[in-house]
Formats: sequence, structure tokens, C-alpha cells
Amino acid sequence: MKIEGSYKIPAAREIVYKQLLDPEALARALPGCEKLAPNPDGTYNAEMRVGIAAVKGTYQGRVEILDQKPPERFRMRVNVRGKGGFLQGEGEIVLSASGDETTVSYSGETQVGGMIAAVGQRMIQAASRQIVGQFFQAFAKQIQERSTH
Amino acid sequence: MIPEPFEYHVPKTLEEATQLIAQFGEDGKLLAGGHSLVPMMKLRLASPRHLVDIARLDGLRYITEKDGRMEIGALTTHYRIESSNLLKEKCPLLPLTAQEIGDVQVRNKGTLGGSLAHADPAADWPAAAVALGAELKAVSTNGERWIPASEFFVDLMTTSLAPGEIVTAIRFPLLPARSGDAYAKHHHPASGFAVVGVAARLTLDEKGHVKSARVGVTGITASAYRAVEVEKAITGKAPTPKNLQLAASHAADGIEANGDLYASAEFRVHLAAVYTERALAAAAASAKGH
Repeated sequence: MKIEGSYKIPAAREIVYKQLLDPEALARALPGCEKLAPNPDGTYNAEMRVGIAAVKGTYQGRVEILDQKPPERFRMRVNVRGKGGFLQGEGEIVLSASGDETTVSYSGETQVGGMIAAVGQRMIQAASRQIVGQFFQAFAKQIQERSTH
Repeated sequence: MIPEPFEYHVPKTLEEATQLIAQFGEDGKLLAGGHSLVPMMKLRLASPRHLVDIARLDGLRYITEKDGRMEIGALTTHYRIESSNLLKEKCPLLPLTAQEIGDVQVRNKGTLGGSLAHADPAADWPAAAVALGAELKAVSTNGERWIPASEFFVDLMTTSLAPGEIVTAIRFPLLPARSGDAYAKHHHPASGFAVVGVAARLTLDEKGHVKSARVGVTGITASAYRAVEVEKAITGKAPTPKNLQLAASHAADGIEANGDLYASAEFRVHLAAVYTERALAAAAASAKGH
């Protein structure tokens, strides 16, 4: 499944780029993120509680950041699984400056499988949009809080 | 599969129910008709540790005309709404919608309040609620409030209910003079869910032109919405096939449609226009006869 979209963050591009790749900032921003620990090989071990309304589950796996070109773009690879199913995805994140703000555009391919995908197939697209939207909302809020201190 | 273990509670009063659901927070879930929640629990997609069964709160089952509106208790089943002669006369959109829901078993157990609070993107009730500008009564240990439908459906399976709030009643405007209701739905051939569902209420003036139009659409995107562009396009016009088709072509304007294995986003957008036209035509025909 293709997912794509963009989100405006009220901060300069360099700051946004740095924060997006800061595991501590991410761990706070990602809704339900219980763990985001760096590995020696540069990947991260992630453990997150994700879901919508009553359908929530804990997912564990790996996140990899590749092809970093600060402050403009990077690629991300995700591979997580939980009781409800699994998610594999790869995508590109591009940051473009628009005045004092940064537009973060994401575009990628995901494969969702397991019970969640089988039973929830009709909602996967909308659910992905909501979860990604939640992430960016929390991330933008965090950036704003940091910049007012 | 069978559900994960859970504690089962049966409050005897609404007050007790609000206390329990406040106490359990994220670990608690209300159970009414159960036809949305229990299947999810059996698949272990939802595993609330505490189930608060409110299905026996008989005081929340009623259909009354009150202060110029139809007020329906949240636990009223789809079947009761479908078969209500009072509603067929005073607010026909409701029985017209109810009869399209799921199947006989779902209609016998499923409740209006439960369906609305669950906010499935393909549920039928949200289209009617949004089209008519319904208001939902939410009660918690902190008090009660009425939430307009326009503010109720926030996102996929997400409503503006605060944690601990229970929907207890829903009120709908009566069918005015020279008006007609309709609900046109494309049923998913397996699940019966709305691939697209369009609820419409049209009011005509003495010349037979559309004085006011209200259109609610479900199944297309994360939550039901009012098709404002359709309403604008048909208001003031005669409900001729050509005008209806033109107005209906705006059914998914500005909407990010979802796609799945059965229906792509493009197909859904197309269906939205087709079923909006059908709903408008049916509502207009009904208005002429009213």
C-alpha cells in the first residue's frame, strides 16, 4: 500500500531534521512509543503501543534510517510485528523550507499483514493516515514546546 | 478464536455505569448490542480488561417526540427504529436508514447509540446524524452535555466523546412540510457495510424548487461528512434529473477518499456521485408527495 502526505511543522528545517533523527525526541513524540533504543549498527529497536480506539496492540521491531542528506531528506525502513499483525515499510521523508516553517513530505510503500490487515483491510488506509497524522501532530507540538523554552 | 480474559460488570443504573467506566479508564469498554465490539474481541483485536454491560439499562430504550424533535434512547435497536410507525411519519430518514443496516441479527441487537459511538467509517447511522444535524447526549461522572453531530465524528473510529462519557440519547429534527427523506446505499456484497451511503433530506418551496437540502455521506473517508457542495449546488433549483446529477457530481469534493480491495478511491468517488443522485431523486419524489 502506498502512503503519502505532508505536514507543516512550525520550525526551521535544520531544527526539524535534527529532531526527526533524535531518538529521544522521537520516543517522546511517537504516540505510544515505549522504547526507541539505538543499536551499535545504527538501527533502532522500537517498541510501541499503536492503534485506534479499542483496537490497540504493542508492536516490536526495527527502525533503520538511511541515505541521510541533512537538512533535506532521508529514507526510513520499518519492520515491526505484534499480536495483531505486522508492518513493513520503506519510505522517503523530504523537508522543504517554507518561510519560518518546514513542510515534511513523506512517501512510501507499506505492507501490513496478519489479523489487522485481514479483518481491517477496509480501514488500513484511513488508519495509516490517522496514525501518521497523530505522530506529526505530537512531533510538531514537541518542537513548539522546545522552541518556547 | 475466543476473547482474552476479561471482567464482566452489569451496572444497575446509568450512574453506576458512568462510575465504572470512569474507574476503568482505558481498560474499560461499554457493551451494548455487542455486534461491533464482540467480533473484535473474538479476534483479539480489542481486548478490554473490563466490559461494562449497559444493555439492560431499559431507561435508555425509547422513541419520543419532545420539544419539536424526535428523541431516541441510545440503546434503542436498529430494528425498533426500522419498525417505528411514529418515526416513519415524523422522521422517515431514521427507519429508512435502519432497514439498510447489516442483517436481521445485527438489527435486532445493535443499538443507535452504540453504532454512533463506535464511529465505523462504513456505518450507516453517521450519514443520517450528519445530514439531519442530530445532537447526541453524553453523560459522565462530570455531568452531561449535548454534542452536535457536526462535531461528533472526528476521525476513523474516533469521536469527540471524552473518556468516561456515555451516549444516552440522540435527538433529530422532525420532517418539515413539503419535505422528503432518502437513504441510498451501496452494500458491500459480503459484509453489508456501506461502501458508500448517502442520506438526504430535501425541502421544496411552493414552486417545487429546492428550498433546503441536507446531505450526509458515509463510507467514503475516515468519517461521515456533510456534502456541503452538493447542498449548495441544488438549493434554489428545480429537482430535475439534470440538476440532481450536476449537484451530485460534487459529492466527494475536497474529500480524501479511501480505497480497499473491494473499491478503489476513484471508484468510491464515482459511487458517491451515483448514490447521491439516487438519494436526492428519492427525497425529491418523497417531498412532492408529502
